[in-house]
Amino acid sequence: MSFDHSVTATTDLVDDRNDLHYVPAPCQVACPVGTDAPSYIAYIWQGEYEKALEAINATNPFSAICGRVCDAPCEPACRRADSDDAIAIRNLKRHVLDSLGSDFALPPVAVTQSKTVAIVGAGPAGLTAAQDLAEAGYEVHVYEATDRPGGMMVWGIPRFRLPEGVIEQDIQRMSRHCPGIKIHLNSALGDQVTLGELKQNHDALLMAIGASVGKTMNLPGESQPFVKDGVGFLHRINAGERPHLPETVLVIGGGDVAMDACRAVKRLPGVKSVKVIYRRDAEAMPARAEELQGAIDEGIEMVYNTQPISVVDGRAIRCLRTEMGEADTDGRRRPVEVAGSEHDIECGLVIAAVGQKAKCAELEAHGLMAEDRVKAIFEGMVTEDQMIFAAGDGGFGGSTIVEAMNHGHRAAYYMKAFLQGNENPLPYKTPYRTRRVEICNDPLWEINPRVHQEFSGLGENPIEFAEIESTYTASEAKVEAARCFRCDAETGSADFTVESRESIFAMARMTSEQDDQQQQILDSRLENRVDPFGTEHIATLDDLVFLPANLSRLVIDPYREECKTRTELGANRHLVLDIPFIVTGLDNAPAEISDAYGKSIANAGAACLGRRGIEGAKWLQIVDDKVDSAADAVVFEADTVLAAGSVEKSTQQPAGLLVNNSNVEQAIDFGLAHELDFLVLDASGGLPGLDAEFTAAPDLSIIRRAVKHLRQLNCEEEIDLVYFGGLRTGTDSAKVLALGAIAVVIGASAVLALGADISSGSPKFSSELSHVERKQRSANLLQAFNSEASMMARCTGKTNLQNLEPEDLRAITLIASKTVGIPMSGSLEIHQT
Amino acid sequence: MVTLDLSQLDITQANEKIRQCGREGVDVEIINPDARHNIGVGLVDPITVKVKGSAGYFCGGLSDGAHYEIESNVGWAVGDNIYTGSVVVGGNAGAIAGVAIRGAEIVIHGNMGSRAGQVMKAGTLCCGGNAAFMSGYMMYGGRIIILGDAAEKVGQDMSAGEIFIGGEIESLGNDTEIVDMAPGDLESINEFLDRYGMSFSGQFTKVVSAGKKLRYGNSEPRTRPQPFFISSQSSSYWNAKVQEDIWIKGEVGRYRIRGYGASKPVPHLNDIAFARDITQAPSDASVLEGINLRTKVGGRFGAKPLDLSMPVMIAPMSFGALSRSVKIALARASRLSGISESTGEGGMLDEQREEADQLIFQMLSGRLGWNIKDMLRADALEIYISQGAKPGLGGQLMAKKVTPELAKIRGIPEGIDLRSPSRHPDVLGADDLVIKVDELREATGHKKPLGIKMGAGRVNDDIKIAYKDGFDFVELDGLQGSTGAASTEVLENVGIPTLSAIQEAVDGLAEIEAKGDMHLVLMGGIKDGIDAVKMLALGAHCVSIGTAAMIAGGCIACMQCHVGSCPVGIATQDKGHEARYDIDRQAQNIHRYFESVRWQMAAITKALGYDDVHSINRDDLVALTPEAAEMTGLRYVPGQRDNTQHDDKLTDLSRKAG
Repeated sequence: MSFDHSVTATTDLVDDRNDLHYVPAPCQVACPVGTDAPSYIAYIWQGEYEKALEAINATNPFSAICGRVCDAPCEPACRRADSDDAIAIRNLKRHVLDSLGSDFALPPVAVTQSKTVAIVGAGPAGLTAAQDLAEAGYEVHVYEATDRPGGMMVWGIPRFRLPEGVIEQDIQRMSRHCPGIKIHLNSALGDQVTLGELKQNHDALLMAIGASVGKTMNLPGESQPFVKDGVGFLHRINAGERPHLPETVLVIGGGDVAMDACRAVKRLPGVKSVKVIYRRDAEAMPARAEELQGAIDEGIEMVYNTQPISVVDGRAIRCLRTEMGEADTDGRRRPVEVAGSEHDIECGLVIAAVGQKAKCAELEAHGLMAEDRVKAIFEGMVTEDQMIFAAGDGGFGGSTIVEAMNHGHRAAYYMKAFLQGNENPLPYKTPYRTRRVEICNDPLWEINPRVHQEFSGLGENPIEFAEIESTYTASEAKVEAARCFRCDAETGSADFTVESRESIFAMARMTSEQDDQQQQILDSRLENRVDPFGTEHIATLDDLVFLPANLSRLVIDPYREECKTRTELGANRHLVLDIPFIVTGLDNAPAEISDAYGKSIANAGAACLGRRGIEGAKWLQIVDDKVDSAADAVVFEADTVLAAGSVEKSTQQPAGLLVNNSNVEQAIDFGLAHELDFLVLDASGGLPGLDAEFTAAPDLSIIRRAVKHLRQLNCEEEIDLVYFGGLRTGTDSAKVLALGAIAVVIGASAVLALGADISSGSPKFSSELSHVERKQRSANLLQAFNSEASMMARCTGKTNLQNLEPEDLRAITLIASKTVGIPMSGSLEIHQT
Repeated sequence: MVTLDLSQLDITQANEKIRQCGREGVDVEIINPDARHNIGVGLVDPITVKVKGSAGYFCGGLSDGAHYEIESNVGWAVGDNIYTGSVVVGGNAGAIAGVAIRGAEIVIHGNMGSRAGQVMKAGTLCCGGNAAFMSGYMMYGGRIIILGDAAEKVGQDMSAGEIFIGGEIESLGNDTEIVDMAPGDLESINEFLDRYGMSFSGQFTKVVSAGKKLRYGNSEPRTRPQPFFISSQSSSYWNAKVQEDIWIKGEVGRYRIRGYGASKPVPHLNDIAFARDITQAPSDASVLEGINLRTKVGGRFGAKPLDLSMPVMIAPMSFGALSRSVKIALARASRLSGISESTGEGGMLDEQREEADQLIFQMLSGRLGWNIKDMLRADALEIYISQGAKPGLGGQLMAKKVTPELAKIRGIPEGIDLRSPSRHPDVLGADDLVIKVDELREATGHKKPLGIKMGAGRVNDDIKIAYKDGFDFVELDGLQGSTGAASTEVLENVGIPTLSAIQEAVDGLAEIEAKGDMHLVLMGGIKDGIDAVKMLALGAHCVSIGTAAMIAGGCIACMQCHVGSCPVGIATQDKGHEARYDIDRQAQNIHRYFESVRWQMAAITKALGYDDVHSINRDDLVALTPEAAEMTGLRYVPGQRDNTQHDDKLTDLSRKAG
């Protein structure tokens, strides 16, 4: 299997916020490492797992681990969480890693710098920094106190959530990618290595020592042996111990450690009842909702609003009931003890999971420790010693894996600056990238509910610590991925762009008192937009709009009232059509295509234009050799007859000229002189072939030149105009009819409706459609064009398509106004070319 | 019985007295009616009004529960929009007799004019003589009994209901068929005739809807929109969006449908800038202090104007296009921010009325949910002619949204692809509208501001007509105006941009030397306080905001409003999807959004050195693009405020706020 490494091999991460069509999605912003979740989700829908994996791994070296145990702040931030349910962003990640993770490798990066770095602690913060620094070419020595790399990912998370092999997968990938990372196991700071040695041997140091010492509850009687601390307990369990425990076990605390501890206990022999004692209510619990639910589902009892006040000799915890009080300075509501509510909760073991702290005698001896963490400032991630940096739980308090990775990225950023002698680097900012993945098109994206993972909980034999849940199948993943709102992607509206939508969202989430935020939004909204038309813009039919009937004209009901479409083509001799549409470009098309159109053209009362006729359909013959008596009208190429100075027309067949931008006026003069009936204005060039039409937008000036010349000659009624070039809709057609054509020729649209592939520049057909489908599609296209054109006529108050007139149109760009001679809306002035 | 002599009273005085008699429960006799228009309109008490002679237009119209007996003939639209009650006409009736009735009984002993029973929903319209062409035109329900002959196109485009003809039928209308009389039909007709002292001994022919045009034949494949820049790069004329459109049209054989407004780039308010740099707006004192934003709308003829805390309204959007929950949230937000909310098409909800302090009642061609009681409890009235998203067409509501509840409030059959009529039955031109305005004012005692909503087309002409027709305010909706469902062709291609709409309106009114007393309310792509202030400077009196308020309340701009399965519970009637919408939270979000709009308007007003937002004027603006300059006549100053680097502060802000 091969992967595209073009992006991940670079060390400087790209930030895409300057892209006018991109705003990072809430999930991406919520992710401390800025994971491009919308892109990887969209790639999953497309089945492009390798690309998904690249997007996942780009800023997250522990992708496999995070696919299972990330705190996933992206999910509560997901906008769909506010409507039915958040996208299962984490499990989608796991699905990709489970599918491809073990094969996923990144190319090795060599050591290119002479300076080296020491990192103390091989947890998520330390190793993330190690990878960033190694990618920048530094040799990195990681000193790990225990016998395994991974930090709390190894020692804190039980195997039923994070099975064997997953951590190894991520760490091995990193090791192969960064040979410059040397991990020294069993090398505790202060024991095996000293700070002095590190400072001497390396050019910068990172203290990512973690917070692996459980805090105490500060309760009377806490030192009794039946009271254990949560991290210590989990460390033993994760080292492989499976102790026999008393029947009833209490876990004190409401965080993730408490959840992991209580669930581990539940699986151990001897245990019958596990209770979690938490001083606030369920809503205030810091544990991830999914972990909490998992614990409840596994039969663990949650005892909320209960504050332990002492440990009763060898048998119980004494508690008070609490009520939720006023919000504290941190915004969380304070638990207020209820006087006289003392009660004892009996138990055989207490596990206190009330927080962790860092401890390091060596750093303390050097004055680098604050009370329970390394003394460092978050801006710069640096300690009082300018070559020593800090990151992770040990530096900034207990957090999650993904926050620790953010610390690692930040620390690496500032360390690189230090190593390069940049004393005042710009503040670190999490980069946001987008891979600009197409939005997925699943018809049920609005409806489908979240696909849930299969949850097996304790499993058949709890002590085995079997994994609690499975991941998606490929088809489940696709359904789930389709649900993504794609908050990052540009909208379909140039008016309500993704950027304007997001500023409205922001406006709706701040108060009038927040003057600074209001001012920021005001300033950003005052920025000028890029001129949507600019100097390069060429006039297209999109630049014209119809004027609807309101009060000054009788409104015609486009849903119901009739609109006549009968067309008499030809000023002298007529070709009568039921609808003013002529299909072209079928001369060289496979017989299946032209046959399908033949019947549809005949049924619709339209006609075809080309060197060859199609059986059943009225035919305007483009004459290359001689006139075919079977043709219903004939079209001579203007250049040919102008050169010859004469034309051989028959007395019955209406006759016209095929005109292009090089010969409009001469062709008109010739046509009038020879009493021809019509002109086919080829605005794209190249008729009867379609390649030119596919190549570029039509040159609309041809129709204005023709009308203008005829008007100057006062001969507007003497010869009819048929238009060809770039007609994509019935509306385009109606605009051309309003500009002065009596009928229109459609080419590219006609073949696209039958599935032509135009990627090569010329239409190519495949046998994918059946004969019935081709017939139906060709009929449908003509019907759609005619009904759209008629709708436009009726909107302007006309009951006959042929009554459309220039006065029904306005231009919305100056170039279009000049090109076709239609006034600008608002100004009512016609611009002369 | 009180006798009123119309040779002594003008119609306004007479109607005031009739309503007073209604409140007192006293019947009324009217002498010397002289075919006066609007006799007895707006009566909501069950008294009997006897007209000794002939009545003009709209006799007994917009009433509920009253009984009218007219000795001789009536003009057009007798019994217009009556809910319950009856009208008995001794002679002949003009066109559109019983138009839009919703349960009333209308009996015409003589002949009746064309389009009788147009868009009626329920009740019985009975004609003793002959009916002119298009009886039952676009009727949605109820029964028409014609004892004599029916002229051509009987039941043209009817959706439901029954038409019984005793005499000859000249021709049937589109999508109708003749069916056998059902058991009970005849008994029910005879019972009705008996009650009104009529009888008939011949055979009836029963005409009903054939139902072939009530739904689009095949449904359009659902696709999420491609980013707009795909379709607006002129370098790629046959881009993926164009190809997708053609492919789908090949499949369904008609125009595509979606929600939202014009999606293509159009010259707009962000192509004009303030003539002075206002980015350093003062932030020392409270921005809102000392700045007047309060705005009154609609007092031109002495009605009680809307009194808005700032020149902003919530745009008319229907219950139907939107879920009930969203209408409640919008109404609440409007109250919290001191601005007005509007019913849009399809009737007023009780909860909406309770939540909103100032509520505009919209009146549309299909007469869906239009009734006198809601008019009377509204704070302003607005007659809809068209809208920016689909001018020239009536409203469109796809079948998925026409639920039993929705159908009931609108008075239509459930599960049809509702395509409202494009024009009012009684407004065929500007002069009809003058008479309609009279009826509306009469029915509500001249107390309520009356507006007109129009999509921007020939604004320069239309605005003059609106002025002369006597409206208090105009809601003018540009090309960018959004909707819950419309043909993409119309969305993108019919109507002029909002920027040109305001200019043509201002110029048009200046040309007839209007006194500035008809207020211009501009809408169509107004996103924030900046857009609003620019619009005011160009001459609008107020702006109306729809889509942006939706977005503030959780809309993700997926443009699939028409599908009816809105992922956030906004554009849906599906209860399961609606449950996704948290009214309390979103009402607060919408409210905060409007407060931010207020903050922006105040900050700009202050930065420009004014203390009243209405003092800002054209001199404070410049055009940044030649298009904007041409459309507005503003000075063209390219690069007035140089396009600074795209700032990512904003995105961080919006994310933090979540």
